[in-house]
Amino acid sequence: MIDAGMELAPPDWPRGGDVIRAQDFGPFAQAALARYAAVSGDDNPLHLDPNAARAAGLAGTPAHGMLTFSCFEPLIMRWRRDLFIARLSGKFLRPVLAGEAIQVSGRVIRRREVPRPELILRLTARTQNNDLAVVGEATVLYKIPGQLG
Amino acid sequence: MNGRGHAQPLGSGFAQEPSADTLIRLPPIRVRTDRGEVAEFLHATGGARTGGFVPLTFPVRWLALPSVRGLILQLIGGQGFLPVHEGQSFAYEHELRIETDYILAIEARRTAKPPRLTVKMAIATRQGEICGRSETLLRIVPINLEPAS
Repeated sequence: MIDAGMELAPPDWPRGGDVIRAQDFGPFAQAALARYAAVSGDDNPLHLDPNAARAAGLAGTPAHGMLTFSCFEPLIMRWRRDLFIARLSGKFLRPVLAGEAIQVSGRVIRRREVPRPELILRLTARTQNNDLAVVGEATVLYKIPGQLG
Repeated sequence: MNGRGHAQPLGSGFAQEPSADTLIRLPPIRVRTDRGEVAEFLHATGGARTGGFVPLTFPVRWLALPSVRGLILQLIGGQGFLPVHEGQSFAYEHELRIETDYILAIEARRTAKPPRLTVKMAIATRQGEICGRSETLLRIVPINLEPAS
């Protein structure tokens, strides 16, 4: 029985264990950190001033956590365009220093089809040394193309 | 100094690290998803979508609004401390739309042990419908202000 208003998952709706192909972002040059500081308003000297970074015990200026975190959205939307990201959370485990790149990837850890097709995604951003920099989780809902979330 | 869960008005800033937990709520703040600012933000974060949508991390820039920034700086405790981003989450009922006014409800909680600041933001339409929420978790790190040798 299908209830009125219930949305059906498309035939190619992902399954648990499906992998979101890894994508590379960066390297985040100091100029990119300055640009992000300008557009986000986060001009914390930790990200812009090597002396402040050193005073905090870092070897160099770290990229804004939100700059690396923000890579999860294009990762998901390049994977499938028929998704509405209802929830996205992340923990910043280690800094990504200026000049470093990250590789972002994901995996479907749970799938639900009713009342609305939904996926739970586990997301990671790793440094070039394969260290885990950001771990995230997203809840995405099926969005009929052309409709707003 | 107020105890846990009590609201405290602005203007009674900490001269040093607080010794008890404090919660402050700001009056509602009106913001707008300006098309140009959204485009700049997308460019700086490498977003795949080039128009018609607001990136889901865009609301972090509202943490840099003067009243919010002032609150955060006040609760951090002044010079000698830096906020380090530990965690971030977003939850959306609806995608934000470009060139649209929203009303923010913001509260910040400073805990002394562990030394952290949690900033919660609720984003609503002018009609009061909640579109999304975010939570920012900052660890407060003391820094060495001595000049690097």
